[in-house]
Amino acid sequence: MEKFKLKVFRYDPTRDTEPYYKTYELPVEKGMTVLAALFKAKEEQDPTISFRYNCRAAICGSCAMRINGHATLACKVQITHLLDKYQTDTITVEPIGNVKPLKDLIYDMDWLVDKLKRIKPWFIPKEKPPVDGTEYRQDPYDHHRIDFASDCILCASCMSDCNALKANKDFLGPMVHSKAYRFAADTRDGAKKERIEAVLEDLNLEWCVRCMECTTRCPKEVQPYENIIRLRIMAAEEGYKTPGEIHAEIFEQDIYNRGLLNEMLLPMRQEGILGAIKRAPFGIKMMLKGKVNYADFFGGHKIKRLEEVQKIYKAAKEKEKEVKIKLPQIMGVIYEDKRKTRKRVNYAETGGNE
Amino acid sequence: MAELKYAFYTGCSAKGVAPELYNSTKLVAEKLGMELIELEAATCCGAGAVQEKDEFLALTINARNLALAEELGLDLLTICNTCTLMLREAKFKLDNDPELKDAVNQVLKEAGLEYKGTSEVTHFLWEVIDGVGLDKLKEMVVRPLKDFNIAPFYGCHIIRPPYLIGYEDPDNPKSIEMIIEAIGGNPVDHTARLACCGFHSFWSAEDKVTLKLTAMDAQSAKEEKADFMVTPCPLCHTQLDAMQEEAEERIGINIGMPVLHLPQMIGLAIGLKPKELGLEKHVISTKEIIQKVA
Ligand code: SF4
Ligand code: SF4
Ligand code: FES
Repeated sequence: MEKFKLKVFRYDPTRDTEPYYKTYELPVEKGMTVLAALFKAKEEQDPTISFRYNCRAAICGSCAMRINGHATLACKVQITHLLDKYQTDTITVEPIGNVKPLKDLIYDMDWLVDKLKRIKPWFIPKEKPPVDGTEYRQDPYDHHRIDFASDCILCASCMSDCNALKANKDFLGPMVHSKAYRFAADTRDGAKKERIEAVLEDLNLEWCVRCMECTTRCPKEVQPYENIIRLRIMAAEEGYKTPGEIHAEIFEQDIYNRGLLNEMLLPMRQEGILGAIKRAPFGIKMMLKGKVNYADFFGGHKIKRLEEVQKIYKAAKEKEKEVKIKLPQIMGVIYEDKRKTRKRVNYAETGGNE
Repeated sequence: MAELKYAFYTGCSAKGVAPELYNSTKLVAEKLGMELIELEAATCCGAGAVQEKDEFLALTINARNLALAEELGLDLLTICNTCTLMLREAKFKLDNDPELKDAVNQVLKEAGLEYKGTSEVTHFLWEVIDGVGLDKLKEMVVRPLKDFNIAPFYGCHIIRPPYLIGYEDPDNPKSIEMIIEAIGGNPVDHTARLACCGFHSFWSAEDKVTLKLTAMDAQSAKEEKADFMVTPCPLCHTQLDAMQEEAEERIGINIGMPVLHLPQMIGLAIGLKPKELGLEKHVISTKEIIQKVA
């Protein structure tokens, strides 16, 4: 392919009533990034295209935009790679999602900044600085807990594609929650409680639907989704009794007592007797459709070898006090198309040893 | 071709609120030549809930689940996206952290078990493609679904995050479309193809997030004139099928989009009867589909 089409979202509120798309034809050049393509279109064909950029090195976060439907940094992705990935001759660039476009690819950042302010995204020291003039010290493991989270460049790619935010703009969003984790989990921070309470307001922290778009989009491997979960763990450790915490307890009890979750009794245990009454019409509907395992009302069946699970459960509870789980580093473990590369193992031949 | 024998991990849903998934999987797998050895001693994967209360416990129970598959010397096959993710996550952590693996194995030893890391975690969707093969599937089609526009709904945990799943491009997956095409159906491109059903925030944000997403997803398939949606995940299924009416109410629209489990759709094409596949068990009526294939 010698040429490709760059289809750009255009909108100038001073002139246009509706956004529209304008397409520019450009040569395919080896190593050309989307940002470079935008520059070429602007310099050679249409000086009115507006977009934000600064470092051109995936550091400042200002060039985030939606490219073929998914948010990323325009200075990081290459045209040839995209054409191959989508098997197309067209690359569509739009402002990031979930926020208000201001002009062409430039979006309203104030809204994001206002959200960020709610969790006080700055270091609030617990103690006075060391008197000898040295820095605040931190145990390497404690630092490791916030290491990846500290890499956030506030590009908002994660916010763009967040499903919970798509459904409800009041959700603080992965960037904000993840930033709250970064400070709340910092052993030198003095405002842990305040930050946790800010994200727990209206149960906001629990609105996340675990879709993992944020972690998938993040160009810096910050693990925003995982940080949200880490923040939820911290909230539970601090004694906040959230629906998530109740849910987790039910799962734990069921694993211990029968191995599998008892979905029939879940609503009552989750929401109490009032909840069960509220859910009764739904339960009846499920019953009529034959989706109910009646045995579950009386405890249901148990898995085989349950005693093994109970032994393990108790031993794990004891052991976990001394285990320091390292956060998995996802850097370098990039997407690999196993569909094309996977070789099936013939267990009949290897006896399960491969 | 390698032997199509798997340690079958059912998960909770197929044993509880989606019995038609359990039954249709077994029937279809048998027809396709897959042998499923059910792991009757396996526990719930924790579904993300246990993981956020007690990470080490969640890891240990899943290490045990994996060890059960290793005992059989087989790959572990799931029929739920979230189970797939939880088991793969446990495997990723254990395989990449020898100290953690050692700590987990000290616990498993109490029950005479050991996690070695020899079994892969795979999903029914992937095995239809990689194990059975699309050519063989095509050969088995006796009732091509050519009159159906089918909207794939992947569900999050079978494509994301790529560092744990990595089976296909999370930005542009094709596996479900490949199967739809192999059985003669017309895959429909719709805006919610890769979206989230909302299931996992149900108990804390039912009105604020979950049901809105559910409605948006079903509506997006309807806008593209799909006859039904198909998903490889029972949690997405429960949300999109069983909760669709609640979602419609909140949004004030009528959708009525049937949602099939992946094995049910394949089952129809290879000649199994709608009743055998449990199509009448869905909350959103599948009557029109049943009439069309009759
Ligand atoms: S995992 Fe949660 S925070 Fe991340 S994109 Fe999905 S809903 Fe948003
Ligand atoms: S978490 Fe990642 S995607 Fe989100 S703002 Fe930070 S760097 Fe960008
Ligand atoms: S220009 Fe700075 S991140 Fe792209």
